[in-house]
Amino acid sequence: METQHFSYDNKIVKFFAYATILWGVVGMLVGLLAALQLAFPIFNFNLAYTSFGRIRPIHTNAVIFAFVGNGIFTAVYYSLQRLLKARMFNDRLSWIHFWGWQAIIVSAAVTFVLGITTSKEYAELEWPIDIAITIIWVVFGWNMFGTILRRRADHLYVAIWFYIATFVTVAVLHIGNSISLPYSWIQSYPVYAGVQDALVQWWYGHNAVAFFLTTPYLGLMYYFLPKAANRPVYSYRLSIIHFWALVFLYIWAGPHHLLYTSLPDWAQSLGVVFSIMLLAPSWGGMFNGLLTLRGAWDKVRDSATLKFMVVAVTCYGMSTFEGPMMSLKWVNSLTHYTDWTIAHVHIGAMGWNGFLTFGMLYYLFPKMWNTKLYSEKLANAHFWVGTLGMIFYALPLYWGAIVQTLMWKEFTPDGLLAYPNFLETVTQILPMYHVRVLGGLLYFSGLFLMVYNLLKTAASGKCIDNEEASAPAIVTDTKRSNSEGLHRWLERKPVQFMILATVAILIGGAFEIIPTYLIKSNIPTIESVKPYTPLELQGRDIYIREGCNTCHSQMVRPFRSETERYGEYSKAGESVYDHPHLWGSKRTGPDLAREGVPGGKMYKTNVWHFNHMLDPQKMNAQSIMPKYPWLIKDVLDTSSTPAKIRAMTTLGVPYAEGYDLIANDDLKKQAEEIAADLKKSGIEVASDKEILAVIAYLQRLGRDISVQK
Amino acid sequence: MEKKDKFLEENEHLISDHDYDGIRELNNPMPTWWRYLFYITIVFAAVYMFRYHVFGDDLQIAEYNKEMALAEANKPKTAFDENALVLMTASADLDNGKAIYDKNCIACHGSLGEGNAIGPNLTDKYWLNGGSLKDVYQIIKVGKPMKGMLAWQNQLSPEQMLQVASYIMGLQGTNPPNAKEAQGELVE
Repeated sequence: METQHFSYDNKIVKFFAYATILWGVVGMLVGLLAALQLAFPIFNFNLAYTSFGRIRPIHTNAVIFAFVGNGIFTAVYYSLQRLLKARMFNDRLSWIHFWGWQAIIVSAAVTFVLGITTSKEYAELEWPIDIAITIIWVVFGWNMFGTILRRRADHLYVAIWFYIATFVTVAVLHIGNSISLPYSWIQSYPVYAGVQDALVQWWYGHNAVAFFLTTPYLGLMYYFLPKAANRPVYSYRLSIIHFWALVFLYIWAGPHHLLYTSLPDWAQSLGVVFSIMLLAPSWGGMFNGLLTLRGAWDKVRDSATLKFMVVAVTCYGMSTFEGPMMSLKWVNSLTHYTDWTIAHVHIGAMGWNGFLTFGMLYYLFPKMWNTKLYSEKLANAHFWVGTLGMIFYALPLYWGAIVQTLMWKEFTPDGLLAYPNFLETVTQILPMYHVRVLGGLLYFSGLFLMVYNLLKTAASGKCIDNEEASAPAIVTDTKRSNSEGLHRWLERKPVQFMILATVAILIGGAFEIIPTYLIKSNIPTIESVKPYTPLELQGRDIYIREGCNTCHSQMVRPFRSETERYGEYSKAGESVYDHPHLWGSKRTGPDLAREGVPGGKMYKTNVWHFNHMLDPQKMNAQSIMPKYPWLIKDVLDTSSTPAKIRAMTTLGVPYAEGYDLIANDDLKKQAEEIAADLKKSGIEVASDKEILAVIAYLQRLGRDISVQK
Repeated sequence: MEKKDKFLEENEHLISDHDYDGIRELNNPMPTWWRYLFYITIVFAAVYMFRYHVFGDDLQIAEYNKEMALAEANKPKTAFDENALVLMTASADLDNGKAIYDKNCIACHGSLGEGNAIGPNLTDKYWLNGGSLKDVYQIIKVGKPMKGMLAWQNQLSPEQMLQVASYIMGLQGTNPPNAKEAQGELVE
């Protein structure tokens, strides 16, 4: 067998590692700002660009796609080359991938600040950026597969199985969820509406957690944990079973984000049971990781890298236990819309993703710079500060969530809501929001210890940009011998492996999404539900632009405590024209689905809305809602109206033919009516301001269904 | 569990041809409890689907209807005759009335009942919806939503509504500063 000489590309790994660190700092800093805003609304700075509704998606996207994203690529580019004994397929592709991804991140930050968003959680980017993501993702996959096909190792190690599953599934999810109809060079409406949009969105959203935050990081763990501990992986058989079970089952679990909504019951139930079945496959990964450390726990005591990894894997076990529990409907009826979810995802993000990334970086820097870690002590300090930060972050939120959800549900002996004013339940848990800021600050300061430590480490050595290596050429023997297990055979057949993985992840989504289109009774039609007027449509787009859905749901669940507070529970047929749906996932403020029902429990006058948007604290001193003074100053852009109406018509919203041409006349008339009504209460506002569109939209919410009665 | 020699155990289980960049793999069986956990969740899933979608146990709307029926059945039957209201004068009642007012009414009627851009003055003799105790009680109860006055019957008990109505009646003639101009009919 001929020995071949080649080199590993460490330079690209170095760049991805630096990007991981940079975006980690940025993403967590923005997170800290978001936490401050919820505790002290003054940190919204009364500016459009910095209000919570725009800041929150910047934080989530930066942490998920910039910090963890670059973390994934660091891990893949480092481990893939070594596991396959091959340099990355093509250096140019590597660099297109690197710079393309960073450019996407920057464009994401800019568009979010400007309020350009689709409103769909973790998929807020608009269509031109979505296309760029698709291209760069394909470049990544091409580069990875090229490397796999040119490998010098016969078999693919379990880490690579996870990388392959990540690549195909993220591609399917991203494209599936982002299909939309542009109405301008920047913006678009999703082709899905209402129930289907919600279902597709959470099929995506849940599996973004699964295949962006989980599977690639399991791959990372399978490489870096045994490496750092210098121990064999506990069980190859467990790897096989938990891998296939995980990728097959995960995709079905999306509907657990929509329990007690107007999603059909059968889809909700599938979400519940598949989430429960995910428990063991998820824990399989945790135990394979922890049991790999058998006999190496003395090393854990001495090594910060291993400490980070052990806590990361433990946090993974905690989140993947909590997830299935939160998917039980009665638990979900308590935790959904509360800060429980926020605490839950932060155990995952800070513990699993954050700590695993930190562990990897502490391992990688000394290796690549051919030196020793500058200070093991500082790394240990980082570990303890980070752990403490997580505890101070999560515990107050868990506690606050329980307090708030019980307040929402409490009735007096007279049969009235004990806390009819939503704000009371927010004020009650505000101290928890303050402690949460402290937790975030601790976690963030740990990050700085790492930045300093790693820079010092790098300075003390020299990065080997091209690391020499040699390996025998692959023996190409395609026949499966009798003694070779089926899976063992599959491990040296990357194309077949990928096809099988793709089939496994397509089944669940197809089974859940397609029937909602085919079975009419899933979304019963409600005659009185009509399309939005042009002014309401524009107002809705402003609602999306300002990220109102970040804090306000539009989905009244069928509970006495909700119908007493908000009004009738939401029906599937109500949102058939909602491209996109705006059901929301968190109630920092009250639900708005019944906001416009005349005489309803939530109804407010035009003048109330006007004053409240201008200065919520003037209406309720303790409100934590940002002020929106620019809505009153800025003129509504009506030039987009015809294109928006046309796009909606194409998507099946029944506007009359040619309505796009006269839509602005109706818009003007409705705006003038609202302005006249405001004038009666002594408020002078020109009828071309954005606020009128927002008021028109809010007054429409829930109105259609109240007409029906 | 008996303690095996670590290295011996490894050698027994080490898979000979598995070596990936120095990472070796053991051939340990899957933990028994792990397998059973998996089986149990699968059984749970099957039972769950059968229970709700074959045997027809209550889904969410049926559950909700039952919850509402139960609440209706348990509603306390307060013997409170809304047609014969009597002004409350006990200081405990008026204190409660003031507390309710301070919590719920200030935003639109001012801290002293003087009124503001949204709500009318409650201290003068002019009333938009009648000035008797019964009128005031009634407007608190059902509100006038299109004009901005909320209905409080879902948030306050009849007794609480009478307490705040009695408190408001006591604001008559207090002449607070910044009082809003008169609105509605003069009621003597």
